[in-house]
Amino acid sequence: MTTYFIRSVAFRHLRYSVGQSLLTIGVVGISVLLIIYLRTIIGGTQTRIVQNTTGAIPHITVEPPERTPVGAWQLANLGIDPDTLYVGEVVNLPKARESIEDWRLWLPSLDGADPAVTAVSPIVTGQAFMNRGSRRQSVRLAGVIPERHNGIVEIEKSLVSGRFIGMSPGDIVLGRKLATDFGLKLRDKVRLVGPEGLTLNFTVAGIYNTGFGQVDDGQVFVTLRDGQSLLELGGSISSFGIKLADLYAAENIARRIAPGLPFKVRSWVVDNPNLFVTLASQGQTRDLILIMTTIASGFGIGSILVMVVTSKYREIGILKAMGATPGEIQSIFVLEGLLLAFLGCLAGVPLGVVLLKALAAIRSVGPDGRVGSPFLIEIDPVLLVGASLVAIVTGAIASYFPARRAGQVDPIQVIRGS
Amino acid sequence: MPQPVVELDRVGKTYYTGDVETPVLFDLSFSIVPGEFVAIVGGSGSGKTTLLNLMGLLDRPTAGVIRVEGREVSHLDELGRARMRRDRLGFIFQFHYLLPEFTVLENALMPCRMRGREFEKSREARMRELLTYVGLEEKLNVRPPQLSGGQQQRVAVVRSLANDPAVVFADEPTGNLDSKSGRMVFDLMKRLSRESGTAFIMVTHDDNFALEADRVIRIRDGRIQAPPGRHEGTELAVAAPEA
Repeated sequence: MTTYFIRSVAFRHLRYSVGQSLLTIGVVGISVLLIIYLRTIIGGTQTRIVQNTTGAIPHITVEPPERTPVGAWQLANLGIDPDTLYVGEVVNLPKARESIEDWRLWLPSLDGADPAVTAVSPIVTGQAFMNRGSRRQSVRLAGVIPERHNGIVEIEKSLVSGRFIGMSPGDIVLGRKLATDFGLKLRDKVRLVGPEGLTLNFTVAGIYNTGFGQVDDGQVFVTLRDGQSLLELGGSISSFGIKLADLYAAENIARRIAPGLPFKVRSWVVDNPNLFVTLASQGQTRDLILIMTTIASGFGIGSILVMVVTSKYREIGILKAMGATPGEIQSIFVLEGLLLAFLGCLAGVPLGVVLLKALAAIRSVGPDGRVGSPFLIEIDPVLLVGASLVAIVTGAIASYFPARRAGQVDPIQVIRGS
Repeated sequence: MPQPVVELDRVGKTYYTGDVETPVLFDLSFSIVPGEFVAIVGGSGSGKTTLLNLMGLLDRPTAGVIRVEGREVSHLDELGRARMRRDRLGFIFQFHYLLPEFTVLENALMPCRMRGREFEKSREARMRELLTYVGLEEKLNVRPPQLSGGQQQRVAVVRSLANDPAVVFADEPTGNLDSKSGRMVFDLMKRLSRESGTAFIMVTHDDNFALEADRVIRIRDGRIQAPPGRHEGTELAVAAPEA
């Protein structure tokens, strides 16, 4: 608690040494600015990298379990009587596709598997050939329920023309590059040939440009039913795709839901280990810089207050002789530290916001030809408050030691002139 | 006889440094009544400043009892002693140690400021009056660095009376001033003591000032050399030659 006496002495010290105070406020302000700037820019870059990596893929994929071939000599170990062993030839092995037959039964439980789940999409995937006139190209075929799959990849939002949600059997939606290569526009006809040679005709219902190379180039979407037909999967699907509100929680959620499912559950992290390591090391570098900045700011406040305490040694002594308690003297200098930190925040936060807004206003042409900001900048009020709190707590800690020293000044030493 | 503002009963002080004991004051007993102007004299290292610090509750005795306005204060904790100093005692030191960030009036009111804004306000008129009395009416709103040494010490004298104390302790208040300023400050303290009824206890090296005190306490090697009492004429010089 501060008193009128504590407040007035602290304020006067700061006002009287205005140059010193402004210098310290500047140091704290720059620290706050750096915290806000680094977290926002590096955080935005990381988000963009992750979005570019995960934007076109599910955060969690639920697939049929892998079947591991077992040697005949291992059957006894598995509890199977070798006497009942039948030996024969597996005909047409490639046809033995792994698929999920009873996916309709599992869909509701996946929908409610975790509060973080935002979308679950049953998907059939496979290779197909797209033919039009003399042009023929291998494409990745995805049979989906558009309303659900749009939650995994936002095709609808990226449409250049046509529609995705609400597409009908016989419709095909494809990327702009593929459409351009084939000279396709809306309502044009195109033919897809499945891996087993089954051929179906489709009408172009939508053309999109998501910005994700793997989706825009060589990928086509048809309805789930058409996909199942073309890939001859009957009523089965290849996998479930799951999107989460927090993509960093993917691995934990995948581990949590896996035991309750007879399927293989894989998070995007497992498929992108290097990316995760890169992001983590980038985050560590950022945190290291932030810690250094915070420490520098603390030293700034601390060193100024040490100077103030040293230069005010006699005044502190006389105040104590006149009846100021050690606690009151200590409070004066802690309050000074807090005020310097607070004023530093008042300077640093608006400067940080202005700097970020200026950076956000920069426009450039991206590799996909889109005009946009090279920085992904989202000014987070929580970050602004957090950076201010860090600075203020640092100020309090940095001022504590010189303040304690001030509180311990012995008035007798001052009176003796030593 | 009025109640003494300060009473010492067999007070002693010994400093301890590790196993080494350094006795400084021995078995001091005397009392000081309101309005009395007392000079404490003695050679360097005689223990006079230590005595002043004990009476001013800046230090604790290792033997005996000290009472301020009848209340035993020898065993008060640090907070209790600070509160007593703030509320009932005044101090003047050789160096004025005014706060350069505050004006003359604010410096004079500083002990009141420690007791809160309302108390400070209630004492402002009196402090203006006293600062005018000491000839600083034109300087109320200037800062200490703009004053001469004598003017600054006059502010310190007024400041010592801010809380209307029972007793003011002055440690060589003229020691850092030229003779003219020193005389002015001394006369001022005497006048204020007489008019306000506040007891003043002044440590001084200057026998001329000591001779003008109501009473002189001479300390030599930690003991009172002459029995405390009103000095008469040249008693000081005869009874207590400088060591």
